[in-house]
Amino acid sequence: MIKKTMLALGIFTLLFPVAAFAEDPSAATLNMGLNTLWVMLSFILVLLMQGGFILLETGSTRMKNAGHVAGKTIFTTGLAALIYWAFGYGIAFGGDSAVNALFGWGNFFFDPAVAAGEGDSYPSTVFFLFQLAFAAVSLSIAWGGFAERAKLSSYIVFTVFFIAVIYPVVAHWIWGGGWLAEDGAQDFAGSTVVHLTGALAAFVATVLLKPRIGKFNKDGSANEILGHNQVFTALSVLLLWVGWFGFNAGSTVSVGDGFLGFVAFNTMLGAGAGGVAALLISWAMTGKADITTMLNGTLAGLVAITASCAFVDPWAAVVIGLVAGVLVYFSAKFFEKIKVDDPIYALSVHGAAGIWGTLANGIFATQALADKVGIGTGGLIDTGSWKQLWVQFESVVVVGAFVLAASFLVLGVMKLIMGFRVTEEQEIIGLDLSEHGAYGYPEQMKKAGQNM
Amino acid sequence: MSDPVPLQVLKQIGSADHVEGLRSLRDQVHEQMEALLKARPVEQFNEQLNEVHDALIQRSAALAEAEMARLGKGSPPVPYAYILFGSGGRKEQTLSSDQDSGVVYEDPVSDSEEVQLYFKELCEMIVMNLQQVGYPLCEGNVLSSNREWCLSLTEWGMKLDKWFAEPAWESVRYLLIVADGRCVYGDEKLLHLLKDSFFTDMLKSPIILKRMLENTMRHKVLLGFFGQLLKEQYGTDTGSLDIKYGAYIPMVNAIRLMAVQVGIRETATLERIRRLAKAGQLSDHEAAVYEQAFRLFLRLRLMTTEQKNNGLYANNGKLSSSKLTKELTDELKSSLRLGKKLQRAVFKQTMGRLT
Repeated sequence: MIKKTMLALGIFTLLFPVAAFAEDPSAATLNMGLNTLWVMLSFILVLLMQGGFILLETGSTRMKNAGHVAGKTIFTTGLAALIYWAFGYGIAFGGDSAVNALFGWGNFFFDPAVAAGEGDSYPSTVFFLFQLAFAAVSLSIAWGGFAERAKLSSYIVFTVFFIAVIYPVVAHWIWGGGWLAEDGAQDFAGSTVVHLTGALAAFVATVLLKPRIGKFNKDGSANEILGHNQVFTALSVLLLWVGWFGFNAGSTVSVGDGFLGFVAFNTMLGAGAGGVAALLISWAMTGKADITTMLNGTLAGLVAITASCAFVDPWAAVVIGLVAGVLVYFSAKFFEKIKVDDPIYALSVHGAAGIWGTLANGIFATQALADKVGIGTGGLIDTGSWKQLWVQFESVVVVGAFVLAASFLVLGVMKLIMGFRVTEEQEIIGLDLSEHGAYGYPEQMKKAGQNM
Repeated sequence: MSDPVPLQVLKQIGSADHVEGLRSLRDQVHEQMEALLKARPVEQFNEQLNEVHDALIQRSAALAEAEMARLGKGSPPVPYAYILFGSGGRKEQTLSSDQDSGVVYEDPVSDSEEVQLYFKELCEMIVMNLQQVGYPLCEGNVLSSNREWCLSLTEWGMKLDKWFAEPAWESVRYLLIVADGRCVYGDEKLLHLLKDSFFTDMLKSPIILKRMLENTMRHKVLLGFFGQLLKEQYGTDTGSLDIKYGAYIPMVNAIRLMAVQVGIRETATLERIRRLAKAGQLSDHEAAVYEQAFRLFLRLRLMTTEQKNNGLYANNGKLSSSKLTKELTDELKSSLRLGKKLQRAVFKQTMGRLT
């Protein structure tokens, strides 16, 4: 047996001498290759989160808008890719500008090198893709505020401005060497950059659009407009949850010593705690364990842990998730009380939990992990210092103010010039028919349409 | 009653000679009673109100009998009892309760089909009269005009046997309805005989109690984990409290279940509580606090939002938050806690009896 093996190996050596004598790749090359694979895989996971958003938004809204809601996500993701390539990436990561604290400049119509350069830890192509996927996620969060009543054309206009300017500026401030990065703001994977930014754009949109027909009664009480498919909504949360491992763990952008595993570990704990807390609080408060609240709680846990997943100990991840789950319930009630119609709870899930997650760093971050990541310092509990909490607070306020102002400007001007909302008739018929001419559920909707 | 107004009205109702007259009398009574609600102890108010309802129903039935005779269909061929179920059976009708009714008539010696036809026509007329007087139809079609609820004594016996033998969800519901049956007009003895077979069957199949328990416990007392009131979250009734299904019905159900287990035939909930105390099923103290809680539920139920639909008196059973003062809220919370305690006690007692 051994003889035969040796003989075979000998013959192979003769046949394929290159394999036997080729020079081994250097450790640096291997490292670069592994990083590339990891970032590429993370990009794929984050892009797949769009599938989550499609199901989340469709499941939480009504049948008559299903085709529109689902289809526009794909369309705007494609449009976002082009805009980010042409302009957005240059603002976020394009290189030093005269006012580098505020935005980057350069690398417009990004033309990357085909391979990683000497000493690079990954090629710029995968970094671009990964960052693009984040921008697209933030955009899809914003769509929550548009749901069921915005014109299709407004989606196109807003995609252009959001992906070219609004999102890249925030990303530059915190991740691209901007002034908040200088201050040591901790936002590992984007509780503020991605989630709060998207949520505030959604807030501006839903305020400018005004509530959907039938959401509020004359006396100010709210009606429940139930989504048409809770199974979609639940499945969407699973898709987003899985995708989130690319989002958070992928934000290490390196394989290195395996730190990505720790980040993923914290992410899992935060998500679980969010869902559990939300279900229990809705049960205790209303007497019924509400599925929608539980799903929102799971997402809120994920949103909140996004900023802190690399900076906190596992117990803190659980606490952050639990608080997020409770917060999302009361936040949703609050927005309903002030008569803001938030069809898919974007303001509560991504906004309130995004703020909490960012601030949580200032409380729970440990010095050791802050040093490891190399950003900011430990939080209140570990160091006893309020410094990091203040920086976190500052980044929430400043980013919040900027996104609110910029979104109001873009959407407000758009509303004046071309109109933002469909007509009452179109809204009642449904956007599937008014914007696209065909129903997402033809059989069911034709039957309903006959009674109108 | 000492109050001269209802006494006079009762007399007028008793001598009204057409349905329109009854309707205008009812409208009058309603205006008077609504004003009295705040001034009078609830039990007394409830009693007077139900006397008025009974009188209206009795007169509607008598007018229908007379109309049958006038149409040449004769007088009732055999004695019968006109039965009220639901809140009417429990003497707990509000100003706007619907019709839940049935009929049991003596077994005919001769042509049973003819007898059946007579009662069918009579009951249709009574139900129609009552509708004109402003009583909406029962949504579940528990109506004397429905053949299923207008039967001879023997037929009733067979029906009960069938329900007891096959305690599916619907039969259990019907048995619980029968438990609250009360004769409002006609020959009371017939209902007694019907209840005799009800309680005999009951002893023979104790498993029915478990099914009744499961059937009635699904209405939860509207008290949350933190002891807060569970109010309506959405819609035009946001902030109001479903007194009917979140306070009143759970207590009615719990007390009924205790009462039927020991063969108490009273149908009014307060009466049942007193009987339970006498039978030693409740201590005097328990009976007193439960009575007090139930009186509050009765009172709040009378304060729920009125709706007038097409001339029919209706009510959504929900108490608007604007009517809930701080004092009332506290009182309601402690009464709901008692309701919860009672539910638990009944659950334990009933399950204990079976094992």
